[in-house]
Amino acid sequence: MMHCIRCLGALLILAAGVAQAQSIGDIEAGKAKSQTCAACHGANGASDNPAFPMLAGQHADYLLHALKAYKSGDRQNAIMNGQAAGLSEQDMRDLAAYFAAQTPAVHGLQREAVSSAE
Amino acid sequence: MICGRLIGGVALSAALLMPGLSSAQGDIEAGRAKAYTCLGCHAVEGYRNAYPSYRVPKLGGQHQSYIASALQAYKSGARQHTTMQALASTLSDEDIQDIAAYFASRGPEGQ
Repeated sequence: MMHCIRCLGALLILAAGVAQAQSIGDIEAGKAKSQTCAACHGANGASDNPAFPMLAGQHADYLLHALKAYKSGDRQNAIMNGQAAGLSEQDMRDLAAYFAAQTPAVHGLQREAVSSAE
Repeated sequence: MICGRLIGGVALSAALLMPGLSSAQGDIEAGRAKAYTCLGCHAVEGYRNAYPSYRVPKLGGQHQSYIASALQAYKSGARQHTTMQALASTLSDEDIQDIAAYFASRGPEGQ
């Protein structure tokens, strides 16, 4: 019996770890927090102003990294340093999860054959 | 004559206010060749940055002017990232516009 409970406990911890890896934050909470972002980054993160990056469909962990870098000052940007300063870790996670889950506006690149003969 | 000078001055001012109109175009084909190194990380699906660990950003279809400004920020040190700063430091303004134009032109499925 004891053995069984230990086993179950280990499984639960493992399952929690997997869930954590799959979801960086709360998409719905991120949507609610994204109103300010939309002014520059467009509705759903599909910016139509070329000065501001499209966020829709970007990797969530990259978005989280970028927000943290703006907050810490590793990235210097007059607008984003101010915006990120007021965000908690959870806010950043939720926003990253929300924008990553939108219809992709950005895509992964693929290698192409580069021919010098052309 | 004064009028001519005035018009010239206005035209010059306008030109100065629109920085690099021609150089900001970027050459997609030139960018294709210059971006070869970038693809070593940015065209590998699921490729991760180490310490901290996160997937490198998707760049296909991103706005050209944003990619260019990001590269300029790595070059100037306004963005901290050892590898990207080293790579961006080797790029001219023209290289940056060409590479940015190439990435911006890439759509879904890398096409």
